[in-house]
Amino acid sequence: MRTKLFLLISVLVLAGLVLGACQPAAPTPEKIIQTVVVEGTPREVVVTATPAPAAAGPKVLRLNMGPGDIPTIDPALATDTSSVQIIEETSVGLTRQNEETAEVLPGMAESWDVVNNEDGTQTVTFKLVTGIPWVRWNGKEVEQVLDCEGNPRYVTAYDFEYGILRTLNPKTASDYAYVLAFAIKGAEDYNAGKTDDPTTVAVKALDEKTLEITFNEQAAYNVNIAGVWVAHAMPKWLIEGDDCTEARGDKWTETGFFQGYGPYTLKEWVHDSYITLVKNPFWPGLPSVPVAKIDEITWTMLDEVPAFAEYEAGNLDVAGVPLADIDRVKADPELSKQLVIGPVMCTYYYGFNTKAKFVDDVRVRRALSMAIDRQSLIDNVLKGGQEPAQWFSRPGLTGAPTPDKYPDLGVKFDPEKAKAELQSYLDEKGLKVSDLDITLMFNTSSGHQKIAEAIQQMWKEYLGLDVKLANQEWKVYLKTIRDPQATPQIFRLGWCQDYPDANNFLREVPTKGGSSNPADGGGFNWENPKFEELVVQAARETDPQKRVDLYAQAEQILVYEDAVMAPIYWYTRVTVTKPYVQRTFSVLGGLEHIEKWDITR
Amino acid sequence: MGRYIARRLIYLLVVLFVVSAITFGLMHAVPGGPFDREKALPPEIIENLNKRYHLDEPLLMQYGRYLYDVFIPRISATPPQGSVDDDFLITVKLGNVWFKWMNFGPTYSSRSRTVNDIFRQQLPVSAQLGIMALLVAIIIGMPLGILAALKQNTIFDYLGMSVAIFGVSVPVIILGPLMIWIFGVTLKWFPPTGWGAKPPFVLGIFPRELGPEFFRYAIMPSVALGLGSSAIIARLTRASLLQTMREDYIRTARAKGLRESLVIVRHALKNSLIPVVTILGPLFAALVTGTFVTEVTFGIPGMGRYFVTSITNRDYPVIMGTILLYALILVIANLVVDIVYAYLDPRIRYD
Amino acid sequence: MAQPVTLDARARDKDTLLTTKRESLWQDALRRLIRNRAAVIGGVIILILYLTAIFADKIAPYPYEKQTLVDQNKVPAWMLKVFPTMQPYAKISDKYLLGADYVGRDLFSRIVYGTRVSLTVALIGPLISLFIGVIYGSISGYFGGRLDNIMMRIVDVLYAFPGLLFIILLMAFFRSTFARPEPGTFTYTVSQLDARLGGMLFIFIGIGLTAWETMARLTRGQVLSMREKEFIEAARTIGATDLRIMFRHILPNIVGPLVVAETLAIPGYITTEAFLSFIGLGVNPPTPSWGSMISEGAQVIRTYPNQTIFPALALAITMFAFNFLGDGLRDALDPRLRGTQ
Repeated sequence: MRTKLFLLISVLVLAGLVLGACQPAAPTPEKIIQTVVVEGTPREVVVTATPAPAAAGPKVLRLNMGPGDIPTIDPALATDTSSVQIIEETSVGLTRQNEETAEVLPGMAESWDVVNNEDGTQTVTFKLVTGIPWVRWNGKEVEQVLDCEGNPRYVTAYDFEYGILRTLNPKTASDYAYVLAFAIKGAEDYNAGKTDDPTTVAVKALDEKTLEITFNEQAAYNVNIAGVWVAHAMPKWLIEGDDCTEARGDKWTETGFFQGYGPYTLKEWVHDSYITLVKNPFWPGLPSVPVAKIDEITWTMLDEVPAFAEYEAGNLDVAGVPLADIDRVKADPELSKQLVIGPVMCTYYYGFNTKAKFVDDVRVRRALSMAIDRQSLIDNVLKGGQEPAQWFSRPGLTGAPTPDKYPDLGVKFDPEKAKAELQSYLDEKGLKVSDLDITLMFNTSSGHQKIAEAIQQMWKEYLGLDVKLANQEWKVYLKTIRDPQATPQIFRLGWCQDYPDANNFLREVPTKGGSSNPADGGGFNWENPKFEELVVQAARETDPQKRVDLYAQAEQILVYEDAVMAPIYWYTRVTVTKPYVQRTFSVLGGLEHIEKWDITR
Repeated sequence: MGRYIARRLIYLLVVLFVVSAITFGLMHAVPGGPFDREKALPPEIIENLNKRYHLDEPLLMQYGRYLYDVFIPRISATPPQGSVDDDFLITVKLGNVWFKWMNFGPTYSSRSRTVNDIFRQQLPVSAQLGIMALLVAIIIGMPLGILAALKQNTIFDYLGMSVAIFGVSVPVIILGPLMIWIFGVTLKWFPPTGWGAKPPFVLGIFPRELGPEFFRYAIMPSVALGLGSSAIIARLTRASLLQTMREDYIRTARAKGLRESLVIVRHALKNSLIPVVTILGPLFAALVTGTFVTEVTFGIPGMGRYFVTSITNRDYPVIMGTILLYALILVIANLVVDIVYAYLDPRIRYD
Repeated sequence: MAQPVTLDARARDKDTLLTTKRESLWQDALRRLIRNRAAVIGGVIILILYLTAIFADKIAPYPYEKQTLVDQNKVPAWMLKVFPTMQPYAKISDKYLLGADYVGRDLFSRIVYGTRVSLTVALIGPLISLFIGVIYGSISGYFGGRLDNIMMRIVDVLYAFPGLLFIILLMAFFRSTFARPEPGTFTYTVSQLDARLGGMLFIFIGIGLTAWETMARLTRGQVLSMREKEFIEAARTIGATDLRIMFRHILPNIVGPLVVAETLAIPGYITTEAFLSFIGLGVNPPTPSWGSMISEGAQVIRTYPNQTIFPALALAITMFAFNFLGDGLRDALDPRLRGTQ
């Protein structure tokens, strides 16, 4: 059951990627025009339409990554945005997603042929860009990596083959291996340890510049999957060792050893402190990945509050604004100009356990949801210009309804109606409002607590209902809300896009077996065949407008008719950027393509 | 003395063993595992991860494996691989074989690192900060305590104690951001965050360069952290000195006509140090192994964060490693304290 | 070294004329304590604080959970004179004495109610650690020998745990074990009690469980020295049971130093609660505690300094009071007590 679910999910992940490509392009703050001249060895790389004035000293960009060490910069092992951010700068996939339009473009593969096989599978033959060398930082400068004969090592199809097989190897224990495991023919058995033979996986380098991958499904999104970071090229000689290189195993990513081939490469990684990337002078530039203009990027690893202090002290160029400082920033003549609030593809919501006492009645759930004054919460507590969520799938995702087209869809703050709903329930059951014993649980964090406290007060004010708050430490909480017995009546969760499509929200979260609605109970404890049918239908629908309509119907069931969740707000990101930084704003959940940025002082 | 120390070292092993057993049991009793994510992973992937870290074995076997890796030295013909699984804290080449000891295991949250890496790279930073903070605490605390005791129940006493208590009452949670704001952002005297030394460290602890740059980074956090402990030291010094001053031998010394300053320095101070030294043991262990709040506030890459995040992430080897390390340092610090004791107080004899 | 016979020991000796000496010792101590102005002030402040905690609902102008979202972060006019940096953005409202917090709750009221948590921690923490520590320490000290050895080694081992870390593990363990049990069971009762107390119960247990070791050591030391005294010998010869000797003869004589040591440890308990709040393991919202107010306020310290300064001030005053009272008690009651070890 679960296997099937994940098969479904991963297939749809990819479907989403394709659909994401149809999304209208967001206005681009700056256009980068480039002419790439690649001659024989890609040593001479002269680029850009705007010749940068010879800046005094190297251009160094200082950013903050957030608290704690970056978990890994090994493409096979990465799971989180911080890790992927570094990986996407130090290596490039076969395909690459544009960070502003979410469109999928050629990356290391300059072209590909697609052949549909008779057995329902699909073989894609990628033609790789040649002449891009592996590089490393030798302590003084970036140098090309040489093989045992002293020749430069270029990125080849064999490196990609190795990378994919390494990710799939069960001994590697890669979290995101499942993305490849369900898509590539033979990969699942290999990853699950059913066979030890990697040649059963349908990934084959035919020669240095040709990679052939056979996928389980005949779908256009297959090429997108090939661009995922877990399918990047990896240096086998460094990880496993060869005649002239010592094997480094999982530690190949450390300072002084790391080898990459992207627009930047690793200069220094001082764990828990900072990581510095340096421009790779051997990167020739690709249409989707230009040559970098900034010479060095350093990310510190600070909490938001100290990072903002560093920004104010002039030691960081970009920083997030802590919630607490927003009032001051908005009032400050300088800082207010540097402030940008951009959308983030995430939704914050409260889920209801539809089998738990009191909230097992839809009227109670609807009353609770309608008694939340979302705008007031945003204006007074959140303050980051968030949008009040009327439904679950965040507008901006492909297929998601938008408030201007569907102003009355979903759920809105309506205290009178909320009270009436609750009253009708109370009258029917012969209860008083004080008889309702309802607990809202969230994972321990002051941010969630503020929201919970404000909403608790709204319920008290508009419904006269005293809801108890409880919090649990994160990992305990995750167990609790997926436990059929222990799931609280109301629980907090959020969902962020894996790929920019409504399917990622509506199909993968609330459906039976979804992330918030485990197949064996817990979470929403909910199943509505009509809803399930609508989201499947929407996933297959090719007409964009019909698709949005189908999702809108599904949303209406989810947040109003059955009211299994109370969507609260749609996320935004509040950042300040120094005026001398020319940048792009990514919609890919904070994953920036810094090779397109510049510093002009 | 030698036998005493030997006995204490054996006792140390027992302590470490029991501490490891309790921690191991407790951390596995807390629900939630290292691979529970908001977006749940497929069972096959969890299985691979569990197998990778031997979490699929029975608990007792896991514990046995851990003890074996940490406590039992290995002799091997192959040099250290430098991989995540073959990383021993102590590796010595003896002729043509390698002596390897203490493999504290990998960390789950940092895939290319081991607990030993954290000991090598983060512990020294915490230790530097801790030692500096301890110095600050002693430099502020002792004179305050002495002053307060000598001028008991006068304005000096109250003022001195007030300053000391101020240190405890204004926790780093407030003091840190305040100092960053005033001295870091507004006056720009010190860098707001960060640490002025990075690995590798001399002798595994000391920064390679102990120049002004190091202190520019170290001053704010050391003061913020040390102020709290200075209160403890001041109070103890005061109490202990007050008591010593009432002892017969002080009276005798005075009666003999010794100058008051000589009485205090020669006789009273040395003897009143004993309880102060006692507290320095645990204080040292606590400061040196890192303090969460200070490190988070000042963005210092020390161990303190790991004490908390290892638990929230269920990063089992890191939990075990940090707690064992703390226990080890505490027991050794206490042993040193006891030896210093014997020196300070000739009446104490160890057999 | 010549140990002066303690006055208590003599007081037990019915043959001497010093029978009344014990009374006068306490009186003497009290007199000395009263002479110590700092200690008296400390004591008075603590008394006031406990009264505040008891009558919090009468003193506080608003309920602690009462939110007025539109009033969030408002400050009274006088605050701008103290913190002029707030001028450009602060919204003024004189409704709140010390201003309102991020959801528009009266800061002053929350500080008043917060007294309850901090002072309960200051009361229950020591009680738990006294209870366990004294029983454990007296058994160990009284019976001595092998048992003593084993019991003290256990204490040594527990002592080797980093206290706060142990609390974090224990709290995670408790909170999950008692998460949502079946009604009617013991765990249910406990979790209900904890919920009723705003999540304080487990904090107390956590703090108490990690703090008793010091107390046990101290008690043991005291009992050891008391065990050999003449009056104990005397009691034993007339056939008093061990239990009776322990509770009737030994404990009353050592309670002074123990209480003093606890008083001095109280500020530590209060800061522990503050730390737990900082890492998110503190009391359940909206129950206010100074610790949680300080750690939340510290985030806005640059924008709204009043939100953290005032709870910190309350904490500081309390700490001063307990410290001065503790020092005074020690000076007055037991000049021989050394440190906490």
